[in-house]
Amino acid sequence: MAASWHIRNWLSHHVRRVAATRAIHAQSVLPGTTSAALEIIRTQPSQYIVASLVGRKFILTPRDLLTVPHIKDVDVGDVLVLKDIHEVGSRDYTLRGEPLIPPGRVKVEATVVEHTKGAMEVVFKKKRRKGYQKTIKNKHPYTRLRIGPIQFANSS
Amino acid sequence: MATQQLWRAQLRSYPANGHTAFLPQIRKVVLEFCQHYPSSSNARTFISNHLERVAREHPHVEFVIRQRNGHEPIARGFYANGRDKVIPLNKLEVTGIERKVQLLMDSSGAKIKPLKGARTVESTTESARGIWSGMHVDTPFII
Repeated sequence: MAASWHIRNWLSHHVRRVAATRAIHAQSVLPGTTSAALEIIRTQPSQYIVASLVGRKFILTPRDLLTVPHIKDVDVGDVLVLKDIHEVGSRDYTLRGEPLIPPGRVKVEATVVEHTKGAMEVVFKKKRRKGYQKTIKNKHPYTRLRIGPIQFANSS
Repeated sequence: MATQQLWRAQLRSYPANGHTAFLPQIRKVVLEFCQHYPSSSNARTFISNHLERVAREHPHVEFVIRQRNGHEPIARGFYANGRDKVIPLNKLEVTGIERKVQLLMDSSGAKIKPLKGARTVESTTESARGIWSGMHVDTPFII
C-alpha cells in the first residue's frame, strides 16, 4: 500500500509539473471573441486551413499546389477566393467554424496555374468465352490551383 | 535559449508560381503546315481566318507560322521550363485546331504524370501543426 502511494505521488507530481510547463506557452483563459482567437492564431509562425472545393475538403497551407478535376469557365491566371473555410489553425490553436468560418474573417485566394490532362489510363474489359473485350483509354482533365497567403481581417 | 545553427538547406527557396504573382508558362506557339497537301487544309483555314484573333486575345504568347511542305500540320508549344509539346493537327476540324492551340496555352509544360490520389495536394511547406512525437507527450511509454 505504501509502494502504491509512492507511485501515485510520483505520478501526481509528474502530471502537475507537465501541466505547469504546458501552461507557460498555452493560453490559460480561452479567448472570448472570434477576433481574439484569430489574433492568437495569427501570431504563430504558420497556419493551415480546412476548406471545401469541388465538393471535397482539403487541408491547405500557403504555397500548396492543389489538383482538382477540371473547373469550367475558369481561365489560367484567374484568382478564385475560397468561400467555404471550415477550420483555421496553427501549431497550438484551432478555430473551427459552425459549419463555416464567417467569410469576412479569413480570406484565402487560389490562382489557377494550369488546365492539364493526367497520364493515359488504359482499362481493359473482357468477358471470357463470350467474344466481348474492349480497351478504354482515358486522360482525365485536371485544374491545378496555387494557394495564396492566408489573410486575416483587420490585419495590415 | 541557445541559438539554432543555420543549415544551408534552410536557405533554399522553392518556386510557387501563382502564390502572389502568376507568370504564364507558355512562351511560344509554332504552327507548321504544308502549302499543298489536303491534310493541312483545315490548318491553313485556321491560320488565315482565326489565328490573328487568338493571338490578340493572348498577347503574352508569341505565335510563329512555319512551312513544313510534304508533312502533316503540327502545333508546337514552347514553355518556360524548356520543354515543348507537339500536337499533330491533320485529323482535326478548324474548331478542333483552335481547341488544341488553347490546350497548349493552358498547359504549364510540366511532364505528364498520374495526378490522382497522392498528388492532390503538393506542399513544400512544413506541417503547421507539427509532427507527433511519442517522446513529447504527457506520459511517454517507458519499457
